[in-house]
Amino acid sequence: MDSLGTVGTLRVGLIVAFTLLGLFFSFVSMTGVLRLPDVYSRAHTASQADTLGAGFGLAAVALAVGWEGAGFKSVLLLFFIFVTNPTAAHAIARAAFEEGIVPWTEGDDRR
Amino acid sequence: MWWVTDATVAAEAGGSDETGSEPQSAVVVPVEPSPTLRATVSHVVEAAVDGEFSAIHFVEIASWRDGDPGSDDRTAEARRVLERVVAWAEADLDDADGDAGDGVTVVSALIGAEGYLFGPEDYVEVLAGYAEEHGADAVVLDPEYTPVGNTTLLQPLEFALSNTSLDVRTAPVGRPTRPERLRSEATGVRFAAMFGLSLAFYFVLGDPLYWFDWATGVATAAIVSITLSRISFDADPAVPRTPLRLVRGAIYVPVLLYEILVANLVVARVILDPRLPIDPTMNRVRVIVGSGLPLMTLANSITLTPGTLTVRARDSDLYVHSLLPWAREGLFDGSLERWTRFVYYGRSAARPPTPRERDDYAILQGPDATEELPIAAGDGGAVPDGRDDDATDVAEEEVTDA
Repeated sequence: MDSLGTVGTLRVGLIVAFTLLGLFFSFVSMTGVLRLPDVYSRAHTASQADTLGAGFGLAAVALAVGWEGAGFKSVLLLFFIFVTNPTAAHAIARAAFEEGIVPWTEGDDRR
Repeated sequence: MWWVTDATVAAEAGGSDETGSEPQSAVVVPVEPSPTLRATVSHVVEAAVDGEFSAIHFVEIASWRDGDPGSDDRTAEARRVLERVVAWAEADLDDADGDAGDGVTVVSALIGAEGYLFGPEDYVEVLAGYAEEHGADAVVLDPEYTPVGNTTLLQPLEFALSNTSLDVRTAPVGRPTRPERLRSEATGVRFAAMFGLSLAFYFVLGDPLYWFDWATGVATAAIVSITLSRISFDADPAVPRTPLRLVRGAIYVPVLLYEILVANLVVARVILDPRLPIDPTMNRVRVIVGSGLPLMTLANSITLTPGTLTVRARDSDLYVHSLLPWAREGLFDGSLERWTRFVYYGRSAARPPTPRERDDYAILQGPDATEELPIAAGDGGAVPDGRDDDATDVAEEEVTDA
């Protein structure tokens, strides 16, 4: 540890924290996909894995590799995820809607 | 009324008598700078000279709304286009044999700037209203007329027009042989912007100091901008507007990230704690942002925020599925709508009444529903996923209320 210095320690700490946060949100997302009742509510939680799960994961990568090629690319990746993720979630929900799938509501027997 | 007839550019070609009043029919021609606009004007004038129409109304349908920042420039630009079209028409009438063109009236108007127009239906409504007001019973379309930007997902205007009583046809004209004056410079700007953007991105991935990357980068950027510059831009990037939007967008990103983080934590809590119930409903919100890029930004921001999911965009109506009442209330409070307006129109436009204050919202499901769910019926009762053991035996009698 002492070979890292304060900044280095902070950086490692942040990397670990971001990785754990990314894991946490991916786990929440997975739980949501298993627990929630229908395609619409699952689409909500599935996109969580993309935004914050992958978001924190890529932030950890960017910190780990530093401000150079790969780190910069991971920021770009993050940007593309933020553009494509809602588009994909919207496409799935819209397809379901046009198929005539009525969203589950409280009191609905479907589960 | 939501149209403004511009009497100052109305002109009676040839100046004089009322002899040409025999056919008494008027035609409406929606115009926009396009490669085939000149030929379309010629075609319509020819038809009028042949006695088919006695009045030609050239209308430009505003895709913006009066009062938005930048609308004055766009209005001025539209007026220039209309003036040019009228000048063309008059020149064609003068060229016509004898006095055949004398009885033809040429009028121009800018219509529809009172509100945002979203889809073909909105354009058709404005167009049909104008036609009715001026006793026109026919519409001639420029084959390259694309009022809704390049939004290919929308039904074509022609199809929407066929539901009206108007006689619709498309001018039988091809691409012009001489270079088009109206659009060439515009396309140049878009091309340059697309080219610069692609090249910059290429060098982020490659090495700007290596000559080979320059060769491949320029070739790639050229291909990308040739194929996509007309698709990626609805309007030209303009100097004060585009950088301003980028700066305001950069302000918006942290705000959006914060909203996403908060919403994520709320939704995570509900998912992880079995005692907290979910209460999903479908909702409708009518938003007041322009069509195209602003609408896409807003819809995607709503979807990015966990707990709300944009399902359909039907003109200015967004159908949004919400997971929790908390997310639904946030949606009706319209903070993302305000931010989107801030990004695209500036601070002065960022304080409209919320959807709740405007009464532009509805819950479509559950005990609080105020409107019916506009769903395409179908087999609405299909079990979404048969993974749960008890899911398979309940699919019998539900959802007859769809």
